[in-house]
Formats: sequence, C-alpha cells, structure tokens
Amino acid sequence: MTWDITGMAAVANIGASPREIFAALCAGQESRTPLRAFDPDKYRAAYAYEIDDRPEGGGDIPRRATRWLITVVRQAVADAGLGEDLSQVPVLVGTTMREQRSVELWWRDGADVALEELHFGTALKAAFGASTTYTFANACSATLYALGLATDMIEAGMADTVVVAGTDAATESGFGTLDRVQNDVPDALRPFDATHKGMLMGEGAVAVVVQRAGTGGGRVHARVRGVSMNCDAHHATAPDPDGITRAVLDAYRRAGVRAQDIDLVMLHGSGTPRNDATEASVLRRIFDGAGTGPRMTAVKAMTGHTLGGSGLLSLVMAVLAMKEGTVPPVLGLADPIPEAAGLGLVQGSPAAGALAIAQIDAFGFGGINAVAIVEAAR
Amino acid sequence: MSTTSTADTRSPNVREVVVTGVGLALPGVATYGDLLGPLPGVGGFDPATGLSGRELRHKDRASRLALRAVESALLDAGLTDADATFTGAADATAVVVSTNLGNADSVCEAVDTIARAGVRGLSPLGLPQTSSNVIAGWVAIRYGLRGPNLTVCNGVTSGLDALAWARNLIVAGRAEAAVVVGVEPANDVATKLLGEQSTDAAVAVVLEPADAAASRGARPRATIAGYARARDLAAALAAAGVTQWESLGLWLGDETGAGAGRLLAATRRIDLEARLGPLSGALGVLQCAAAAAHLESGAAGNVLATAGGPRYDAAATVLLTTSPFTQEPGEHP
Repeated sequence: MTWDITGMAAVANIGASPREIFAALCAGQESRTPLRAFDPDKYRAAYAYEIDDRPEGGGDIPRRATRWLITVVRQAVADAGLGEDLSQVPVLVGTTMREQRSVELWWRDGADVALEELHFGTALKAAFGASTTYTFANACSATLYALGLATDMIEAGMADTVVVAGTDAATESGFGTLDRVQNDVPDALRPFDATHKGMLMGEGAVAVVVQRAGTGGGRVHARVRGVSMNCDAHHATAPDPDGITRAVLDAYRRAGVRAQDIDLVMLHGSGTPRNDATEASVLRRIFDGAGTGPRMTAVKAMTGHTLGGSGLLSLVMAVLAMKEGTVPPVLGLADPIPEAAGLGLVQGSPAAGALAIAQIDAFGFGGINAVAIVEAAR
Repeated sequence: MSTTSTADTRSPNVREVVVTGVGLALPGVATYGDLLGPLPGVGGFDPATGLSGRELRHKDRASRLALRAVESALLDAGLTDADATFTGAADATAVVVSTNLGNADSVCEAVDTIARAGVRGLSPLGLPQTSSNVIAGWVAIRYGLRGPNLTVCNGVTSGLDALAWARNLIVAGRAEAAVVVGVEPANDVATKLLGEQSTDAAVAVVLEPADAAASRGARPRATIAGYARARDLAAALAAAGVTQWESLGLWLGDETGAGAGRLLAATRRIDLEARLGPLSGALGVLQCAAAAAHLESGAAGNVLATAGGPRYDAAATVLLTTSPFTQEPGEHP
C-alpha cells in the first residue's frame, strides 16, 4: 500500500514556500543570523535561524507558530486542489513546543493567551471548520510520527484525505536550556562536520496533504511507501544506535525496500556531536555492502533545527530533490567526522542524479524515532 | 469515504481492544472503584510522600505523578514481576500520554530563571522537560517500552483522544499493548492558566487486544467500543456509532452535553471534574477508569464518556462496553 502526497507547503527562515526553501538550500548561502528573538545578553549562543516576522523595534508576540501553521495548511490544501472547508478532513499536527512560546510571553510579560490556544485545534477550527484535529507533542520526530498515524487512518478506512502538518517557534526555555547544556557554544549548525559543536534552533512550519492512492484525481507529488515509529527507552535526551537501527529497518520492512534501493537520505543531522556520530555510524552499518550507497544531505545546516516540523520539512525537500534530480549540499561541510567516512554526504555544490526512493530520518528527545520512505511519482 | 469519525470499530472485522489494568495517583481517591460512589476525600495518593524516591529524582512533577500511576496500572494488569520489572512484550508496547499542562511549570520556571540570572542560572537537568513529551519518555525508559511513544496535547478531549490513538496503534499492528496515561500536575502556572485551583491527577490504563489478553489470562475490565471527535457532541455520538437505542448505564461527562439526545436523559451521570476539580488532559483516561469500575461491578448498561462541547474546539466521545471475555462478577480466575 502507498499513499499519495498531493499538496505541500512550508515556511522557514530561508523561504516561504517549498520551492524557495529548496532553491536556497541549493544556493548554499550562510543563513544564520544574530539572535533577535530573546535578549542576547542572557544567552551564550549568539546565533539562530529565526523567521524574521516579529514587530519592528524588538520584542516578541504570541501565536506565531499558530499563524504559520494556518498559512501552510491553507497553502497545502490549495496545492492539492481542495477547498478550505476541512470539516470532514482530519488534521494531524506534530510539534515539539506547541504554543509554549506564547505561554512564556503570557507568564513573564502578561501577553493575552488562553489555555485553549496551547493546542492547535482551536485555530484550525476557526480557520477551516476542522474538528478532527490532533496536536501531537512528539519532539523532533513529531511530524513523521503524525505522517505514520495518517497512513494508519487511511489504511483503516477512517479517512481518504488527511492533512499532516508541523509548526514550532523558538522558546526561551528550550533555547536557553540547550544553550546551558552545550559545552562548546555553537556559532552555526554544522551537521557531520568535524567542527560541529551542537544544535541551534530554527523556526518554521510545514504541511502536506496525504490521500488514499488515486483519491485526488490530480497531480501526485510523491508516494509515501511506509513510516516507522518507535522509542529507544534508553535516555531522555541522547540518541541510541539500537533504537535508530530498529526504526530504519522497520521503515524498510513497511516500505518493502532494501538498503540498496535507497537513492537519497535526508539526515536528521542536528549538528550535536552525539547525534551526528550515532546517526552516521548506524547508516554506515545499514549501507555497508549496499553498493555505492545513497546521496545524503542535512537541511538543518541552513534552516536550523525547526523541531517538530523538521522531519516533514526534510520530506518535502526530498520530494523536490527527486523531482529535480538534484540534492542540495550540506552547508559548511568541509571535513566530515570519521564516523561519516564513506557516506555519500553532498558537499560544496548540489549533486545531480536520478532519484527514485528517499529515506527521511527524524529523532527526538525521549528517544523517539521515526523514519519515512518516500517514492518519486513518475 | 471521508468522515469526522477517527474510528468506528463496532464492526466485527476490527480487532477488539480491552482495558486490562488501571492505576491511579490521585489524592483523595484510593481505588478506581471509588470514582463511582461518594468520594472519601481522604486517603488515596499523597504527593508529599508518594512523589519522592530515588527513581523520581530530578524529574518534573507530571512525570513523577505519571510514573506512580503507571507502576500501579502495570501491577494491576499483571505485567510486572516482584521487582517491578516489565514482563510484557517491551518492543511492541506503546506509551500514549495525554497532558495539556504537564511541563508548563518547567517552561515558566526556566523563563523566570533566565530573566533573573541568564542561562547560566539554569540547571542542565531541566533539559528533558523543556519538551512536552518528557513524561512519555520517562515512562518508556523506566519500563523499557520500545513501541510507539506518543504525547497527545489536544485540549479538553485529550484523554479520550489518547485512548483512541492507543487503540489505533494496536489495531494497525504497530503495538501489541499500550500504556495510556492522563496526567496534570498542581502548580501555580497551571492554576493561573486554568483560572481555578489546579489538582494533581495521574491515571494510567493498559490496553491490549481482547484475544491476547484472554490468552495470557488477563482480566478484561472494559472494551473500547467506539470513538469520535467532532464539531459537537451530537455529531461525535453519531460518528462513534452511538444511537438512541444504545443501552447506557452510565454517562461520564458534564451537563453541557445534556441536549444531545433523549438517550442521555435517562442515564446516571457522573461529572468527574465537578467532584475532583479541573482534570484537563487527565479527564478522558480517568473516565475510562471509572467506566471500567462500572462495567466490572456488574451494573447494567454500557458507559459513555464525553468531553468538550460548545465552549471548545470540538467534542469527543468514547463508548465503553463489557468485554465478551469478561467473567461474571464474583467469578475469579
């Protein structure tokens, strides 16, 4: 069984549509900016990958994550040729922070924020009349978890069309605590490079329309072959090679593919030494003996870590890479870590090639992993 | 076919999912049977003593409450041994947590600390609870549960939604069992957000396929027989397959659903929040525990749990029925 992706939309620091973001990734210009969201005097980290839509003159406003979400859902359903009445369409939202940034502004600055705005169903109801809505706070694998749950709904006959989306705005509590625990302060997110020091947050939202095969009757961007989801049950914040390996192999099993069938891997690539070494080591074992192995890239080098939406953003970029036959490079990757030796990481400039099947990795706090396999629509 | 119902499993070809264990960490309520009668008001879980212990150290309050509820639910389900080690299929056991305010206290405390002392004032041990899925992570780690791990933060219907998603994971074959937790901690942030005094509440239920539960000799307490989340209660009831002919013995919900049809007028109703205070994400899972108590008692009729309504973004309902494998009251295995 496969599922059609018939609509896509995204917003991040480097673009307001999937095409803009993909073009920026291929152009490979440095995209980090000095920290604006919060008072820089309070932090060690000086850079982030923010969406620059806050009011002139500094300060922050609540509900930015919600606003981006509504925008990308509207654009994705339009891209799929659907109307904006989602009263009969489930909407599954994956997020790390929900509207916790708004809670922070409410608590500290007295911003007007209601409990019912913490989850996204309230805004989705107002904008689209949607009622079968779910907010899954599944850390940085949230949107691929949501994608897997959407395929389950379609397979079980609960729906023919499901919108899967993700959104996250940077929070002070998250950015600050991460800053506190990273030994060396990163001045950029440099996945798999020997100079990598850690993760820096980005912001963004992403949405796709997933439909039962053949339901849409229009253009199909790509097909979902299978999505795995599991938990390491090992450590609260550090990744575990066994859990990640199980997630990758289960995704292959669900998709009916083997390692040698994979043409492209969109890496989780959060730029923390721990993640990069673990993910690279696992993939080396997976692709050992699988011929030349797939091309690999990591979008967080330019988008920062967009948290809950990052997995689905990687997936949307994989769809465009397959359409274009082009894999964007990993910005700033000059000297890969030893664990990544032999992996087909794209460096310097985009790599051209025919791509039919992509693997997308997403790993989150709590040791939760999700891996999606997507096939080009020809 | 497209429908607002995320499940109508009252068709015979869908694998039936039953409740095989219930655990509470709820001040003033000692056992889930107490949820049906006048509440003793004393006894039950004591946070002052119950939330300490080596394995709870450095964890946020919601995670500690949840771990206590899960501990007793797994024991009740017969899935832990004398050392409190999980004895079930760990690779295929899911954790589904429902919470709305779980880590709000940690988030606001961090913001206060940063304002006062910058990030150097923060504790590195606070990193996990900056993410709302911290509770589900700790539950999985404590018992080695490596199946899907899902945190549902979906407003007032969250608990009922979590039950439905846990059942979906089992029906889809992603999990052979699921631990479903509803938890909210009492603290100043929660009280201010809720606009009323917050309460400590944690409840856990274990879900398994009926046939698997029967083959391992587990005692099924209730079947999750239908669910929907829809624009209002009438639409949710219709989508969940609850008709006016449904034989209901108990309705767990607040009075805002009273207009939903004559079937509800004749039914005994218990509003858990009116008795216990605001339950938020814990509500639906606690309703499941109360339903299990009703069905186990041998009282007549099925149980309808409802949440949400006109003041919220949706209404949700879960129908709970007696399992076909349930033994008659008094007949113990």
